[in-house]
Amino acid sequence: MSAVTGSRVAGQGLWSGPGLRLIAAGLVVFNGFFPALWILFTSLKPESELVKKPITWWPQAPSLANYVQAFTDQPLGRYLLNSAIVATLSTLLSLFVSALAAYAIARLNLRYRQAVLTTIVASSMFPLVTLLVPIFETMRALGLLNTYTALVLPYTVLNLPVCTLVLVSFFQSIPRDLENAAMIDGCTRLGALWRVVVPLAAPGVFTAGLLAFVNAWDEFLLALSLNAGATMRTVPVGIALYQGEFTFPWPIISAALIVALVPMALLIAAFQERVVGGLTQGGLKG
Amino acid sequence: MTFLRRTTLGTMAAALAFSLAGFSAQAQTKLRVFSGGQNQRPDLMRKLFDQYQAANPGITIDIETGGATSELQRQYLSTVLNAKDSAIDIYMIDIVNPAQYFGAGWLEPLDTYVGPAATALKPYLPVYASANVVDGKVAALPAFADAMFMYYRKDLLAKHGIAEPKTWDELSAAAKKIQATEGNANLQGLSIQGAPIEGAVCTFLLPYWGQGKEFNDAAGRLTLDKPAAVKGLGTWLGMVDAGVIKKNVAEVKTPDTVNEFKAGQAVFAINWGFAWDRFKDDADSQVKGKVGVMPLPAMAGGRSATCVGGWQWAVSAFSKHKAEAAKLVKHLASPASSKFLAVEGSLLPTYAEVYTDADVNRQAPWFKDAAAVVVAGKSRPLSKDYGQVSDIIRTTTSAILARTKTPAEGVDETEGRLRRVMR
Amino acid sequence: MADRLPLLDRLRDPSERTLGLLLLAPAFVLLALIVVYPIGRLLWNSFFDLRLSGGGGAKFVGLDNYALVLTDQDFWNATANTLLITVITVPGALIVGLGLALLANLPFKRRWPVRLALLLPWALPLSFAGLIFAWFFHTEYGVVNDVLIRLGLEDRRDPTMWLLKPGWAMAAICLTIIWKTSSFMALILLAGLQMIPRSLYEAAEVDGATPWQQFWQVTVPMLMPSIVVALIFRTITALQTFDIPYTMTKGGPGHATQTLAMLIHATTIDYLDLGYGSTLAVCMFVMSLAVTAVYLRHIGRQAQ
Repeated sequence: MSAVTGSRVAGQGLWSGPGLRLIAAGLVVFNGFFPALWILFTSLKPESELVKKPITWWPQAPSLANYVQAFTDQPLGRYLLNSAIVATLSTLLSLFVSALAAYAIARLNLRYRQAVLTTIVASSMFPLVTLLVPIFETMRALGLLNTYTALVLPYTVLNLPVCTLVLVSFFQSIPRDLENAAMIDGCTRLGALWRVVVPLAAPGVFTAGLLAFVNAWDEFLLALSLNAGATMRTVPVGIALYQGEFTFPWPIISAALIVALVPMALLIAAFQERVVGGLTQGGLKG
Repeated sequence: MTFLRRTTLGTMAAALAFSLAGFSAQAQTKLRVFSGGQNQRPDLMRKLFDQYQAANPGITIDIETGGATSELQRQYLSTVLNAKDSAIDIYMIDIVNPAQYFGAGWLEPLDTYVGPAATALKPYLPVYASANVVDGKVAALPAFADAMFMYYRKDLLAKHGIAEPKTWDELSAAAKKIQATEGNANLQGLSIQGAPIEGAVCTFLLPYWGQGKEFNDAAGRLTLDKPAAVKGLGTWLGMVDAGVIKKNVAEVKTPDTVNEFKAGQAVFAINWGFAWDRFKDDADSQVKGKVGVMPLPAMAGGRSATCVGGWQWAVSAFSKHKAEAAKLVKHLASPASSKFLAVEGSLLPTYAEVYTDADVNRQAPWFKDAAAVVVAGKSRPLSKDYGQVSDIIRTTTSAILARTKTPAEGVDETEGRLRRVMR
Repeated sequence: MADRLPLLDRLRDPSERTLGLLLLAPAFVLLALIVVYPIGRLLWNSFFDLRLSGGGGAKFVGLDNYALVLTDQDFWNATANTLLITVITVPGALIVGLGLALLANLPFKRRWPVRLALLLPWALPLSFAGLIFAWFFHTEYGVVNDVLIRLGLEDRRDPTMWLLKPGWAMAAICLTIIWKTSSFMALILLAGLQMIPRSLYEAAEVDGATPWQQFWQVTVPMLMPSIVVALIFRTITALQTFDIPYTMTKGGPGHATQTLAMLIHATTIDYLDLGYGSTLAVCMFVMSLAVTAVYLRHIGRQAQ
């Protein structure tokens, strides 16, 4: 039944016909790709081309010189590695901690759960710039400056509110009968969490994970203050160093941005199926 | 053994023992220097440090870069110094910062290491005697100088038989004449920076100083002559109306002026000293060999004035190696270092005599013209609250150039806000 | 009252209360380690006159800072700008995000370009998104004016100076924010769409509902929890808007596009006025809490 016509999916019969769907796809793709394409084109141009009037879109003489310079001016590869490690670790930690907390809030009959949720979310209501100095002092006191831990811990905390709230909402939408069934079969509550609830909430888990990863990857202020050493810098801080007091080399910065986007794009392309996958079909048929 | 041999051996052994003891007693001191981004030439500073390390074996120097622009550096430093961090010993800071940073207790006074302010700063260019002295103490020593110059297209002026303009009116007329005759729609008469960046403070002050007016007195109190300020800003707007300055001047930042002049799109341009090399050496420069530099014009009946820039060395108040750091700073601010930076990197010297040094002039002949400009340069307001002062001036100036406020309104607002800060 | 079970037994099969504490412990340990001290310091500082330019000595002033806030023109201007941005970009991002999520959910032969396009705006670092769009709106070098001129809608000799006119600058900023954050919304909503059982749509179709009716009767109600979550964070971040206006206009022209977060940044970093900066931050917190309290209560009710 579900394989009949694509148009009958999820109440979207409005877009029947491949023509309209192609336009729809075109709009979404344009919206998402245009700035990235502009940056790509810029990365292939020399700086002098940027003041030409009228402006040029496609580079007049495309060249990879900017990419070479991006890697020789700074250890961009090292920055990518640092960002990857910090973002991955903080995302995994975030997901783990928030899954536990979200389960407690969504499933357990605790009197204070509203207050708990509010507290967790409220921690994101302060502008980070005002919390910088005390966080710096804490990390310095713990001897953690210029280490991966210095960033992993704050990033986990920064992502806790989003991950927790997303998971709470997804856990709530899963009917309790499934866990009860599992527990009758001899599972403990925690076992039910990891074996039943999390897999069923997979779209939510991967969504929260993607959001946390991107947030950690793009964070600037903390990375600037805590990990200033040349070997420990992350990508956003590194990219900000291509400019000078009087210079802003868009072509080289664009090249660095493209290089930084590629791993994220690969990650997203790899996981987007999981976010939108058919994992839910089985469990919710009833 | 003979007596002589025993004595020689004994002496040698003693000498060896002493030198070994000397080495082990000479602990390795690591000094960490916070220098800026690309435009502060960390590569050249590294060479200076290597020379120093070779001459002083007990010292190793590490460079740290925490931010490529003044803004980002202030972001980084305000976090680190607010936390009283001792990790960094020496800072390279912008000329406008010693007053504010010293007032905040972040800089160590250098008097004990270099002598009292009056004598320590005498050898340098006059402007540093005020910029680097806060509360009568030496807050910093100069690294290299900078100023805003008037660059112009020698070839175009020669082609139309125009002499170097001495007043803003003359400049405006010259630019208009050249623009009309050249017939290039993209040719600007004059390029200045109107975006709300630090350079906009200079954009406000240049025509104001050009009338011979002072912004603050020696004690730091505001002495703004409002009609003069209005007239100065009105001069810029007049040039926009005449088509000499482009309409979206409030969007123009320092790199924009450089890139446009380099591409041959402006007759006159105001910019810092680094631009000279870009015009002369860059592969894509359309103006090689066609660029001249001259002092800024005066307002009618006033005098020529320019904004001084440049960077300074300061010792952190929280450093654990203040004595060694001060010694390094003294070396970095010496005439020899200034000459090295001038020859290797065309960085403007901080001593008057280095401008006329033979080696320097061979490398950078334009320093002869530059000297007059820098020596006569004025510093921006020296205030413990410079962060706020700068914000007020640059924001209102940019708003006036964007024509969202009239010069009269803008100057009133500037004065009102500044009164509260520069008491 | 009765004998409590020995500890090990309690851990293996904990009561709800113990389990709750155990599950929440890691989150609260992290919060305690990272943010409790900073937030405490912030609150503490807000009662002091702590200006580093005066030498850094803290003077207790009680509620004076808060009184100052009430008469501060810049504060009210920044708050008005922030609320304007919030009111425009929160519903804006929701509508665009919902549209994008629905479009991305359509069956395509190759789905990854659409999904990737959905997430790329989110993946571009915030400050560079601001710089790129500032470039797009640049009077001379921007794509927007270039296209308008080519289409004949604008005179080459007199292009619109988007970022130099307060109204247009605000519009450009809101557009950029919506562009960036709609993909955040779309991501959450897309995942939510996956959780809606197909059987509900089939049942509605059997009842004769048109696609439009199906949207309002099935999609929207079932998506409500995701919508609320997305709205909460979009609102909190909208109230803290900083990077995009900072990189696009620096708050200009004048203070026309200065947000509360920019004012806090300037006060803390440029003016080195930590006392007043902390006061402003507390005000921002109170605003955020008030606005999101409504949403959070909704989630709380859902949980019962």
